[in-house]
Amino acid sequence: MAHDLPLKDVKICDFMWVMAGPASTRILADYGATVVRIESPTRIDTARTLQPFFNNQLGPDSSGLFGNCNAGKFGISLDLGNAASRAVVHDLVRWADVVTESFSPKAMRAWGFDYESLRKVNPQLIMLSSCLMGQSGPLAKLAGFGNMAAAISGFHNLTGWPDRPPAGLFGAYTDYVAPRFSAMAILAALDHRRRTGEGQYIDQSQAECAIHFLGPAILDYTVNGRVQGRVGNSDAQFAPHGVYPAAGEDQWVAIACRNDDDWRSLCAAMGSEALARDSRYASAAGRREHREAIDASIAAWSRSIDRGEIEARLQARGVPAHQVQNSADAYADPQFAHRGHFVAVEHSTLGKFTVEGPRAKLSRTPAAVRRAAPTLGQDNQHVLESILGYDETRITDLVATGALG
Amino acid sequence: MAMLTPYRVLDLTTERGLLCGQMLGDMGADVIKIEPPGGSAARAIGPFYNDAPHPDRSLYWWAYNRNKRAVTLDIERDAGRELLLRLVERADFFIESDNPGHMARHHLGFDDLAKINPALIYVSITPFGQDGPKASYADSDLIIMAAGGPLILAGDADRPPVRLGIPQAYLHASADAAVAALAAHHERMRSGLGQHIDVAAQQSVALATQAYILAAPLGSPEAKRISGGVKFGGFDLPLVFPAKDGYIALGFLFGSALGVFTAKLMRFICEQGFCDEATRDKNWIAYGEQLFSGAEPLAEFERVKEVVRTFTRSHTKAELLTLALEHGFLITPVTTVAEVVESPQFESRHYFQSVAHPELGESFRYPGPFAKFSATPIEYQRRPPTVGEHNFEVYRDELGLSENAIAELARAGVI
Repeated sequence: MAHDLPLKDVKICDFMWVMAGPASTRILADYGATVVRIESPTRIDTARTLQPFFNNQLGPDSSGLFGNCNAGKFGISLDLGNAASRAVVHDLVRWADVVTESFSPKAMRAWGFDYESLRKVNPQLIMLSSCLMGQSGPLAKLAGFGNMAAAISGFHNLTGWPDRPPAGLFGAYTDYVAPRFSAMAILAALDHRRRTGEGQYIDQSQAECAIHFLGPAILDYTVNGRVQGRVGNSDAQFAPHGVYPAAGEDQWVAIACRNDDDWRSLCAAMGSEALARDSRYASAAGRREHREAIDASIAAWSRSIDRGEIEARLQARGVPAHQVQNSADAYADPQFAHRGHFVAVEHSTLGKFTVEGPRAKLSRTPAAVRRAAPTLGQDNQHVLESILGYDETRITDLVATGALG
Repeated sequence: MAMLTPYRVLDLTTERGLLCGQMLGDMGADVIKIEPPGGSAARAIGPFYNDAPHPDRSLYWWAYNRNKRAVTLDIERDAGRELLLRLVERADFFIESDNPGHMARHHLGFDDLAKINPALIYVSITPFGQDGPKASYADSDLIIMAAGGPLILAGDADRPPVRLGIPQAYLHASADAAVAALAAHHERMRSGLGQHIDVAAQQSVALATQAYILAAPLGSPEAKRISGGVKFGGFDLPLVFPAKDGYIALGFLFGSALGVFTAKLMRFICEQGFCDEATRDKNWIAYGEQLFSGAEPLAEFERVKEVVRTFTRSHTKAELLTLALEHGFLITPVTTVAEVVESPQFESRHYFQSVAHPELGESFRYPGPFAKFSATPIEYQRRPPTVGEHNFEVYRDELGLSENAIAELARAGVI
């Protein structure tokens, strides 16, 4: 690497687990932060148990989710309930600029690692707590994961068909939203501290972050009193707008007509003069009114054509269209390839392990995935010796306490 | 002083990248939204206040333009471009979301502006990135969700994949862009130099596959959509269950971390008389592997799921939430937007914020600060701006233009 990574001087002591938390510190690691990820040797990180698995084999290091969220980090195993861990944690907090955690509220307090306690160790500390519903309120102690937060913050009810039960978004949707807010909160708090010397505590509710992604629907209720529901793939602005069958089993193409020009171009691509000339379909409002007939016409045309061919033909005419991609499609997608989205890193036990690349391209100091996710306790020696400066005797004594598992 | 008070952001985004500037504005940056004369096309996106289309009353606009000032400026004309360049001299961040090449054609690309202000951080948010085979593809939210991976994973098995009704793709991209901008800013504090940040929405939304975008390169089977859940390796794993009065999300999951929750739930279901002890005592830790290997027949799994459904269907959403809190079950209600806004949880945290719209003589509740900062709380200082609301404030007070000069620019249609 010819350049310094942007966050090369930022040090993070990371107690986060599962997805929403680790995905946020993964971003910071890509930009160069030194992240020391603390894992319990006894209570396994849930992410390590989740699909997709490397070679489809369940194993402590084979989760693609864990591997993706923790690439670039150092890992230390530490039993936080063991008294000997206390000094290690305090030393890491003293070393760190930022402490992050994503346990249920009160867990850190129970260990004596709440913000008030840790700021005595490091007065300029920035600490971020991220959990489902936030540190306070009647639902603060609700156990759970992002799919539950998505349900309770309105996402599920807005996804699916009006005549069917909620389809739900895939997986833990709020875990895909919250990490950016966490990373940004940390970076802004660091800038404030650089200017003022003042650290602070950040209480992040993953549900409260995610609700920003429903902004127009929330305002439609608070302003107009309207409770939006499920609308399938229809769009308030665009028509036609949907996902249509292509040749083959369970193959699909997404098509969106943003305006009348797109509609006419679509009709031309379909070779349908009749549709183009039909005055009922001349405006988006008319096309929305006759959605079912139009969708049936498009489907009748599309279902015998290869989805990539439909994408190419429509894009050639400037109509928004794309094949609906699964992982294999995405892995073969020339644009993802051009962007370097899939990065193979050398995993200490599994060999080449593919993760997603950094999310943004910085022209002068590009981010990088510097290493694969750590195995449990992989970097104990490095963290204790090189980062904390412990001598061999101290490390041996620590191992003897069982604190490292 | 807020976290980003010292910094100025010029926000030239179209309807695609509005959230990025708002996130920086929420943290205190001085964000100036620059729109074409007449206002941004985003102001034409509904829904609208009282359902009456009006450029100052788009709720889509309101949702993503809080804590910004707004000026109008025709950047495609020389006089407009000159004014913009004067603003660029003093700006810290510049955000745009036009198609690749559009800004450069108007001599407002990164290279052009870096000459005027080498410390400028120039953020571009586009569907597929600045270059590459699909960089000039026509796009929309649905297209990005199709290309980036999330779309295929959601929906009923017997219908096409389905998206969330509220467009999401550019929100993911905007949020990634805001993080990248602050990372570059951190570096700028050392080097004194800006740079170009290129964000592709296709990449951003891939995060919403929960790493399933990696299934193929990792050698794992694809996941398949089913209503309210997912199909892994041949069996349906529902995550949405019926309640007496609606639906709940329930983590009926297995493995060493999540199986313990299922074991706890099944003990309760058994106590309540909904299943026998043999069902209760299945090995919920190893259950997923038993399904994969075929040791547990799929028909038996179907029966067990029906047991759970019978239990959830016999309780209301509120009852199930209370049980979740008491017993640590992985249950939340599937809520409507109204239930979200009126939720005692968000009320107790004073989450929704009342924002005054003096131009309408009313106040409305907005989604509140995205986090609670102990030293520098986020404040909603400005409601979303009306078209050209701050033209005088910016052109007269900051650039020193005379009122006559401003009137002349307005007559000429530059502002």
